[in-house]
Amino acid sequence: MGASRFAGRFLIPGGVWLLLFFAVPLGIVLAISFGTTDDLGGAIYGWYPSNYSRVFDPVFLPVLARSVGYALATVALCLLIGYPVAYYIARFGGRRKHALIALVIVPSFVNYLVRTYAWVAILSDEGLANGIPHDVGLSDGGIRFLNTPWAVIGGLVYGYVAFMVLPVYGALDRMDPALIEAGKDLYGSRWQTFRHVMWPTTFQGVLAGCVLVFLPAVGDFVSAQLLGGPDTFMVGNLIQQQFFGAENWPFGAALTTVMMLFLMVWMVFYLRSAAKAAREGAAAAV
Amino acid sequence: MTDTTTSETASVDSRAEVDAAVALEGVWKRFGEQVAVRDMNLTIGRGEFFSMLGPSGCGKTTTLRMIAGFEQPSEGRLLLEGQPVADVPPYRRNVNTVFQGYALFEHLDVFRNVAFGLERKKVEKAEIRRRVGEALELVRLTGRERARPRELSGGMKQRVALARALVNHPAVLLLDEPLGALDLQLRKQMQVELKEIQREVGITFVYVTHDQEEALAVSDRIAVMNEGVIVQCGAPEEVYEKPERPFVAGFIGISNLLEGVVEGGAVRLSGGALASAPVPASCAAGTAVQLSVRPEKIALDELIEDGMVVLSGVVVERVYLGTTTQVIVELAPGVRLVALEQNTYRARSDDRWELGTQVRLGWRPEHGLVLREG
Amino acid sequence: MSVEAPVRPDAAPAPRRVRRSSDQAREFDRPRFLVGFTGLFYLFLFLPIAIVVLFSFNAERSLQVFGGFSLRWYDAFLSSESYRSSLTASIEIALVTMVVATVLGTTLAFGLVRSRGRTGGAFNVLMLVPLVTPEIVAGVSALLLFTQMGLRLSLETIMLAHITFSISYVTVVVRARLAALDPEIEAAAMDLGATRMEVMRLVILPALWPAILASGLLVFALSFDDFVLSFFTTGESPQPLPVRIYSAIRFGVTPTINAIGTLMLAISVIAIGLALALPRLFGRRESGLGVLLGEEGA
Repeated sequence: MGASRFAGRFLIPGGVWLLLFFAVPLGIVLAISFGTTDDLGGAIYGWYPSNYSRVFDPVFLPVLARSVGYALATVALCLLIGYPVAYYIARFGGRRKHALIALVIVPSFVNYLVRTYAWVAILSDEGLANGIPHDVGLSDGGIRFLNTPWAVIGGLVYGYVAFMVLPVYGALDRMDPALIEAGKDLYGSRWQTFRHVMWPTTFQGVLAGCVLVFLPAVGDFVSAQLLGGPDTFMVGNLIQQQFFGAENWPFGAALTTVMMLFLMVWMVFYLRSAAKAAREGAAAAV
Repeated sequence: MTDTTTSETASVDSRAEVDAAVALEGVWKRFGEQVAVRDMNLTIGRGEFFSMLGPSGCGKTTTLRMIAGFEQPSEGRLLLEGQPVADVPPYRRNVNTVFQGYALFEHLDVFRNVAFGLERKKVEKAEIRRRVGEALELVRLTGRERARPRELSGGMKQRVALARALVNHPAVLLLDEPLGALDLQLRKQMQVELKEIQREVGITFVYVTHDQEEALAVSDRIAVMNEGVIVQCGAPEEVYEKPERPFVAGFIGISNLLEGVVEGGAVRLSGGALASAPVPASCAAGTAVQLSVRPEKIALDELIEDGMVVLSGVVVERVYLGTTTQVIVELAPGVRLVALEQNTYRARSDDRWELGTQVRLGWRPEHGLVLREG
Repeated sequence: MSVEAPVRPDAAPAPRRVRRSSDQAREFDRPRFLVGFTGLFYLFLFLPIAIVVLFSFNAERSLQVFGGFSLRWYDAFLSSESYRSSLTASIEIALVTMVVATVLGTTLAFGLVRSRGRTGGAFNVLMLVPLVTPEIVAGVSALLLFTQMGLRLSLETIMLAHITFSISYVTVVVRARLAALDPEIEAAAMDLGATRMEVMRLVILPALWPAILASGLLVFALSFDDFVLSFFTTGESPQPLPVRIYSAIRFGVTPTINAIGTLMLAISVIAIGLALALPRLFGRRESGLGVLLGEEGA
């Protein structure tokens, strides 16, 4: 009766908008990435794939590697911190579960810049991180926290840990507590139960959390900029620099494309894993 | 609000169908490879309480949806009040539906729910108020106009759904297993109410159910369906007392089917006994048939009359049902008949057949139904 | 792990404690460690927030010493014309984004739920990709689009970019609610004489509006708080608040920033709070965001 056709018309406004303002720009990025700059610094189209080989230049390679490294460290820390917290809320939260989870999200409502800047204030030479140990007598002040890799990673962890807690909590909450009891009976030790029962069951949630943390962390430049220094430059800072300083837009576009492709690979891998898990879950239920 | 079509498109013999509220001519409905409705020909008269009865997947709901306009026939013609309605959408048909899940509008109160159809037709406010009042009175929900659906019980929601449909005075009212979600007592009560309402408003009811008792209770005519085909169509007594196919005998009531072969004016049962039975002329000697006897037509031991067909067996099971007790008798390994012990005031205390007792059972030859597949 | 006393054949059976599920849970883990760990986590999470809020009321100019309660930094913020115009700009952008993204996202949700076939699938992918696109990629692509189109960067360009990346949030929320609607309701409405458009207007939208409102307010909060996308697409002046904060941090830190941060927190919390509370105030049992949390019946 034309229900499908009727509905199809509704796809047009949103769909056209997304095509124009999302898909096309990505195409432009790709196109510009093969271009070059003219004498005045403006971007012109052309065929200069050297932009891409420049991305992997020894000058820039450490920046790329560092971004991936920091992001991986962030994921690992988020997991180590987030999993136990999610476990606690899921298993022992009781009626306050929802409130506890909401509390995890609330800090995200403070602007990312302001939150990061708060850490700057705390970790700076005049901040609390120096002040309290000094007052207590543990140090004589002057501990340098800022401008170190750990400050940047710490900032990233702080920014994205909620994205790990939520999916892991979701998976743990949905898990049947009887499974843990069964595991306890079967395996005896806590570690074994975790390894053979909890981890496999919550794996999809963990995977989702890792992806949700990894993807934004790689491209982040705020933490590196505010909490770090020239030694902690990440690819996000590099890209930002191309557009607001070095004025080499084609190279910036090439960097962006490389980063985008790199992340797409992990995204596809994750989607496949999730689809496979969903299929197996449905098959097992049958 | 039927579609006006030129008289040229109506065929000559549809003059008889002008009297019919609903007519299906050679209707097929396919969903991809699956055939849901197969070459259906059906005429439903005005003012009839017509039921379609059958197991899940027999095509009864699909047929109902085609009448309502939610599905289009793959082949064939569908006519409402004599007019073809091939391309008429549901909102322009003079047909209303009572849905299985009631489908009440949760964000509107009872009054606005019932008034919905009238508002679509731009009926005047005063007129709406009058008719909604009438409809609610009919279903005995006066005074509930301001209630919200979520405050109502299942039975009340059902009545709101009924009022919402009836208030529009459709030519045909379609009911899709409307009582399915109600408990037994309420269901029986609603069956009686529905029948009374239908008689009062005189609208054609087309009713879909899988509950054979319900169909027998409310219908003027029943179409027993299986696998997309109408197997038998007739009044409740006819369909129950004179089933034409083993399927109908089995679907309505207990059929007590016995295999046998036609021999003269009787059926030679597989156990060896010869049972007199009304053999139809179309069954030549030697034809394989099934003999069916309704449990209530079977007499046990002393109650057997002269001239009855008599068999013997062992009581293997008793099922207590309150008003009656089913006595299941095994005539031979794998061959069982169900007889009934009445629990009426006339029953004698020694009218009981315990497990393991030998028992004789009999029935009048004319109560045996000779059935054949195909 | 309970230890049962050995049963002597002629002794009365030892009374067994009725085990509740909370008992079972506690027997397995050492909750004390977990409680402490989780407590530390929340401390870690809220400490900077607390400091931001606390020091926004600092009478002194320090970030370390709290010298007394004062509203001077709020005053400084609100009396600064440039900050005020940034606040107004952020609110404007968020409002426009909310309205347009809600409309586009809702219609897109309709289309996706009802249409079958490959176009539906393709548009579904198109809708999902923005959700997983890193912000910096979004920023770069938006910047390139506008400059290549010859547009001057301004509030309008920020709006266009924000809308683009907000549509998907609306679509996801609304679609979930739409899919949960009873399909019989629509059939009933059509049966009673409503055309498809009327069904939309009279039956579907009323049932949908908590979800639409919730996603709209979510979009408002996200837009108001957004930094990276705004950074790439902003013009000279006025700039949205987060971008101004960024500049302020680069060039000199004062507690004014704390004041701004606290105000922004308040505005975001109010927006989310409205999203959760309004449907209940209007007599609905559910709140739109319940869909996101997978609540029953939402």
